[in-house]
Amino acid sequence: MVRYIRRRLLTVIPVFFGITLFVFLFLDLGPGTIADLMGDGGNFSDADRAALETRLSLDQPMPVRYVRWLGRLLQGDLGTSFQTGRSVSESIAQRVVPSLILTGTGVVLAILLAVPLGMAAAWRPRSGWDRLASLCSMASFGVPGFLLSLGLVYLFSVTLGVLPSARMYTNGTTGTLPDLIRHLILPASVVCISSMGELVKQTRSACLETLGEDYVRTAWAKGLRERSVLVRHVFRGSLIPVVTTILSHIPHIIGGSVVVERVFGWPGMGSLMFSAINNRDFNLVMGVTVVIALTVLGTNLLLDLVYGFVDPRVRHGRSQV
Amino acid sequence: MKKLVALTLSLALAGALAACAPKQTQTPTPAGSDSPSGASPAPASQQPVVINYGISNPWDSLMPYNSPSGSNYSRMVYDKLYDRLAYVHADGALTPRGAVSWESADGGLAVLFHLDANAAFHDGTPVTAQHWADTIIRMTDPDCPTLGRSAFAVLAGTDGTGAAVEGETLGAQAVDELTLKLTFKAVTTPEDFLIDKNREYYVLPTHLMADTPAANTMEMDLWSAPVGSGPCRFESEVMGSTITLSANAGYQLGAPGFDRLVITVMDKSSLLTALIAGDLDYYAIGGSVAADSVSAASDAGLTVLEGTVPNTFYELMLNNETISDPRVRRAMELALDKELLAQQSVGSYGCVTGTSVLPDCASYAGDYNVSYDLEGAKALLEQAGYDGTTYRLACASNRAGLAALMQQQFQEAGIPITIDTVDSATMFSGMADGTYDMGIASHTPSALPLWFVESRFTEKNNIFHVQDLSAYETLIQAVKDAPDPTARQAAVQALEDYLAQERPFVPLWFGTALHVQSPTVSNIDYTSASFSNENVWEWVKQ
Repeated sequence: MVRYIRRRLLTVIPVFFGITLFVFLFLDLGPGTIADLMGDGGNFSDADRAALETRLSLDQPMPVRYVRWLGRLLQGDLGTSFQTGRSVSESIAQRVVPSLILTGTGVVLAILLAVPLGMAAAWRPRSGWDRLASLCSMASFGVPGFLLSLGLVYLFSVTLGVLPSARMYTNGTTGTLPDLIRHLILPASVVCISSMGELVKQTRSACLETLGEDYVRTAWAKGLRERSVLVRHVFRGSLIPVVTTILSHIPHIIGGSVVVERVFGWPGMGSLMFSAINNRDFNLVMGVTVVIALTVLGTNLLLDLVYGFVDPRVRHGRSQV
Repeated sequence: MKKLVALTLSLALAGALAACAPKQTQTPTPAGSDSPSGASPAPASQQPVVINYGISNPWDSLMPYNSPSGSNYSRMVYDKLYDRLAYVHADGALTPRGAVSWESADGGLAVLFHLDANAAFHDGTPVTAQHWADTIIRMTDPDCPTLGRSAFAVLAGTDGTGAAVEGETLGAQAVDELTLKLTFKAVTTPEDFLIDKNREYYVLPTHLMADTPAANTMEMDLWSAPVGSGPCRFESEVMGSTITLSANAGYQLGAPGFDRLVITVMDKSSLLTALIAGDLDYYAIGGSVAADSVSAASDAGLTVLEGTVPNTFYELMLNNETISDPRVRRAMELALDKELLAQQSVGSYGCVTGTSVLPDCASYAGDYNVSYDLEGAKALLEQAGYDGTTYRLACASNRAGLAALMQQQFQEAGIPITIDTVDSATMFSGMADGTYDMGIASHTPSALPLWFVESRFTEKNNIFHVQDLSAYETLIQAVKDAPDPTARQAAVQALEDYLAQERPFVPLWFGTALHVQSPTVSNIDYTSASFSNENVWEWVKQ
């Protein structure tokens, strides 16, 4: 097992540096720098622009800048934001927790609703549950996040006036739990609905597949109760694809949701990345990339470990079994 | 047992959520202040009066001389934290702020600013002329990594970049405790200086910076919890998302009528909705609202007012290298039905123009507008031997409709164009490197005649790709050197004549924005937002 983990880790490291190199390269190749945004709002001269480019090393070749950035990264320093002049780590630290709260709540809600619904839909095909599951999937896949957000705001904030339309806490308050929950309901609902479709679909198809397995027929033949067959055999047997889908949401939880955060003024990672790209804040974009890349790679590693733990053929390589 | 487990898990989840409350940067309690904000705290039983202010783009560093974009969004935040010399109204009128009065000196080469004796920093230290002088001395120090230093290039003793020249006397001196003298390279009236530069001159708490070398100015911890002398004090910040300010009860022009001002970054499309829902009281800049949203805003009980002075200038940038014949560029202007374009873009709140000079400007030399003339455009194109080249037009996504209308009008004149919908940085860099032949842009105009032209016809900022800049440079310099208003108007006219003949860019219209605000706040002088200042000390939250 240790050898397996070591092998997986060794493949993760070059992938991580490859990701950073590609993102850095694309930022460099992409049109515009923060210096191009100067003057849009003020009287800046050539000298101001040159001073900014020198200070941010934008006048240096891309390989030089990448090596310098990498050197700082290896010392645990993500650098300074071009826009705010403050530490990138500090910016990210302020945004990770709100993203975890928003997307985490949305995804957890989606799991709690989608998994039982998917199971019920598979258990009773063409029933009301099945139709509800199809409706949820269609709504989730078919309605864009921004439209759903605006629709919910229109209904619950503008028309009924029962829920806030923006921010994480009521301004001027210290931020209590009930206040947070009130502000969380609409954006988390959007994240929940957007995530549900895939989970319902995946759970339903995995359960349907498991229902046809020999060991489930054996369980029935043994005279086990319906609930016992469903939970102990069908659900457990369908767990791997469902867990895979759930774990694949982890990077999304850390990375935040750009649309929902922007519409609801939620201070998360998605909106941070959005404004960093818009303002060509390369250091901040790279910092967020590092966090998201590490999360994605960490999740993949975790998935590999889970597979390896559950299925020895994966751990030792299929040909050896 | 299961219920107990469920209850325990619910409590654990609630605890985890509570622990996840965001950590914000807190202001250290200033010496001599009883409360962290220093503002009159609301009684424990009473909720603080909060103005919720929306903004669609984040601000930069909280150090005003370290702003890479120099955007109005950043300036709106600086305007609250730091004090400026004067308050500039939308029509260019000036009223006191950090200075109570000003006068010309040394035959017009200098201006004396008499500072307000009641002005004080948020830590209680009185603002003196020495603070102003020291701020300018530090920001013009070549070792200090100041951004936007060219704002100081008008002062004597600086070079073209605004850096102090060794051996020369810098034109910023404290005559006495409350008199600041700024000396210029050329004759400058106080009005011209303040209209042009007021939003770029802030007084910093130099008494807290004395031990820091100029080179390390921007790295000071002070900028994560700044101490200014503006109408609001810093409380906390989630960078790029929310900044919480408290009212400076001791502000020399009066205490704001609220306890806190919370500025939140939100998507532009959500601002009006949040205002209607009661989650915002006001939004920058000037609370402008699109003409087609007026009825929704009015129906929701919001106040909608029409601006009194133009606050937006729209232009069609042209690449003079790829569209090299001035006759083709003039034909393009004739081919555009500006009235129709303005109607599509800003409804009936646009005034078409052929110049970037505001009609209110003292040197205004006429509107130079040419009427829509399709046949005239075709004739000019034929005369120029236009070969039917297809041009690329860049625009931001919110102007895609305007671009499509332009495409149709150009097509009618026989000029095919393709449209690239991009973000601002891509458009400006694409115009600068010649990727695009045209671009639609808008700017906040100023009452000075050269506000637009001066910075766009230089060798390094030649965004219109003009092959020979010498004629423009000569004409611009003539405006700057004009000794009196009459001469200046004549010089502006000569410049405008040349621009109309060469047409390096197509001026489209001045927009007069509609303003929307919640009835929960009053006394907002919203039109002055075009000069990046707001009279927050007069705002009252009901």
